[in-house]
Amino acid sequence: MQKILVWDLPTRLFHWLLAAAFAAAWLTAESDTWLALHVFAGYLMLGLVAFRLLWGVIGSRYARFASFRFGPRAAMAYLQETLHGKAKRHIGHNPAGSWAIYGLLGLAVAAGLTGLLTLGGEENHGPFAGLLSYGLGHAFKELHEGLASAMLALVGLHLAGVAVESLLHKENLAKAMVTGCKDGETAQAAASPRRFSAMALLALVLAGGAWQFKGYALETPQQPYRPFVGPTLPDNKVWRAECGACHLAFHPSLLPARSWRRMMAEQDRHFGESLGLDPASTREILDFLENNAADRQLTEAAYKIDRSVPAGETPLRITDTPYWQKKHRGIPAETWRDPKVASKANCAACHLDAEQGTFEDGAMRLPARLGK
Amino acid sequence: MKKPLLTALLFAALPAYAATPLEIQQSYAAEAKQQNPAFKEFSAARGEQFYRAKSAKGSSCAACHTDNPKAEGRHEKTGKAIAPLAPVANSERLTDPAKVEKWFKRNCQDVQGRSCSAQEKGDFIAYLRSVK
Ligand code: HEC
Ligand code: HEC
Ligand code: HEC
Repeated sequence: MQKILVWDLPTRLFHWLLAAAFAAAWLTAESDTWLALHVFAGYLMLGLVAFRLLWGVIGSRYARFASFRFGPRAAMAYLQETLHGKAKRHIGHNPAGSWAIYGLLGLAVAAGLTGLLTLGGEENHGPFAGLLSYGLGHAFKELHEGLASAMLALVGLHLAGVAVESLLHKENLAKAMVTGCKDGETAQAAASPRRFSAMALLALVLAGGAWQFKGYALETPQQPYRPFVGPTLPDNKVWRAECGACHLAFHPSLLPARSWRRMMAEQDRHFGESLGLDPASTREILDFLENNAADRQLTEAAYKIDRSVPAGETPLRITDTPYWQKKHRGIPAETWRDPKVASKANCAACHLDAEQGTFEDGAMRLPARLGK
Repeated sequence: MKKPLLTALLFAALPAYAATPLEIQQSYAAEAKQQNPAFKEFSAARGEQFYRAKSAKGSSCAACHTDNPKAEGRHEKTGKAIAPLAPVANSERLTDPAKVEKWFKRNCQDVQGRSCSAQEKGDFIAYLRSVK
């Protein structure tokens, strides 16, 4: 027995990149701010699986699917033998481990695809942008989350299997996935580490990362980078001039039509100000507000704000709507006290696209991160 | 017809009427004479005092427009940036009589809790015009 090469370099690289991509995707799942990273992790996983399918055919000895083609019965039998402590040692993947691999590859593809469908439906971005309704996108999101949870559970089982096998056969399997080497006979070794293919894989991943994140490297304080740029929303000159003088011109899509009607009817007591607009401007502004109100669901925020406001209520503040409150619950009190914020209604202090009204994910920066 | 009403009608009829700051100041002079026969002229110094003075409500024109009318201001309540008020720094200022009148109405109410007299408006414009 001596140290022999079992896992070629591309297989090991694939393994750890997939693990890192899954971890990154999991950790960024709940955050709008990090959506660009989450989406990249998803693309990375899809790309890695595509590579692995190819490598399963053209890779070195133990990377090939042919070397770990086991039926479900073999996997069950292997699990039973393991429970009794008498499972046979495999140089390559064992039957139970192989099924964990099939499962993880399948779940990565399913989670990746449902993620893209969610992105298309809920956010109107990615290859499926504009092809799905918001509701359908949301349904895919539920599925996406279920698949990701299933994948996490399978990762757990995989890790447990690695630990048990390592103890049972007194060898460190995790370390073998780093060094590529295990104890074995010379004749059992994989032919070569395949360094060139590994370099090509790494170069592709780095190029993909550079492409996805180049905007951050090129941004300037005057022009911060926005990873997602939303649709161009309807605009109106009178509205922007009259309603954008004292504060941001809050886009009509941020409140339901009934709220705008009430606000214009009560314009003589507008949060302590009397607007005193002439009838023609009032009419034009109200038309614009009603025609593009949250009920029209022009954006994700519109859809969610509209659904969050109870039917009997007519809020005058966007910041009073349940959706807004839910989204901003996590912001620390000292951020609201920051003089650059001044008011909760100062959306532009944190949202780079507040003027456009799109409120895209990834377009928010807390003032602390914008630099003093 | 009374002169102030006439001016008001003129402003309403020509909402985007382009005027110079001096012309707008002069139209307030006519109105000031109406309100007070003893009226002589506007004073930039009085206008500056008015600009900086804290009202009974604890606010001032400078609260939003800053101590320096050439500087970018910031809305006291909402934090929104306000372009400079002095015509030297912002050539669009004091060129639209209807707009000027609209903001005097709002801001005087906001700061003083009442509307401003033609004398106060004229002084204010004289001050802004004097800022070099
Ligand atoms: C003269 C100044 C002024 C003008 C002009 C003005 N507003 Fe306001 N508005 C305010 C102030 C002051 C507040 C309260 C801001 C705060 O609490 O931070 C406010 C608050 C709001 C809010 C609530 C923001 C929130 O969610 O807390 C909305 C919506 C709004 N304004 C819409 C409008 C619309 C529509 C117009 C045009 C018809 C308009 N405003 C014109 C001064 C103004
Ligand atoms: C102090 C900074 C700050 C201010 C001010 C602020 N926001 Fe936000 N907003 C955030 C952050 C941070 C998030 C992301 C929260 C998360 O990751 O769940 C967010 C999320 C959102 C979202 C959800 C975005 C999405 O795609 O899911 C909307 C919509 C939104 N804000 C609208 C507004 C509006 C409208 C205003 C002004 C009335 C406003 N915000 C003011 C920081 C701010
Ligand atoms: C609460 C904030 C605030 C205060 C206080 C305030 N202003 Fe203003 N003022 C504004 C805003 C906002 C505008 C519109 C800015 C724009 O059009 O870009 C404005 C515009 C004006 C204009 C219009 C100038 C032009 O031709 O465009 C005049 C005149 C003016 N203010 C006078 C005053 C006077 C006089 C006072 C004090 C009595 C005062 N302001 C106090 C917020 C304020």
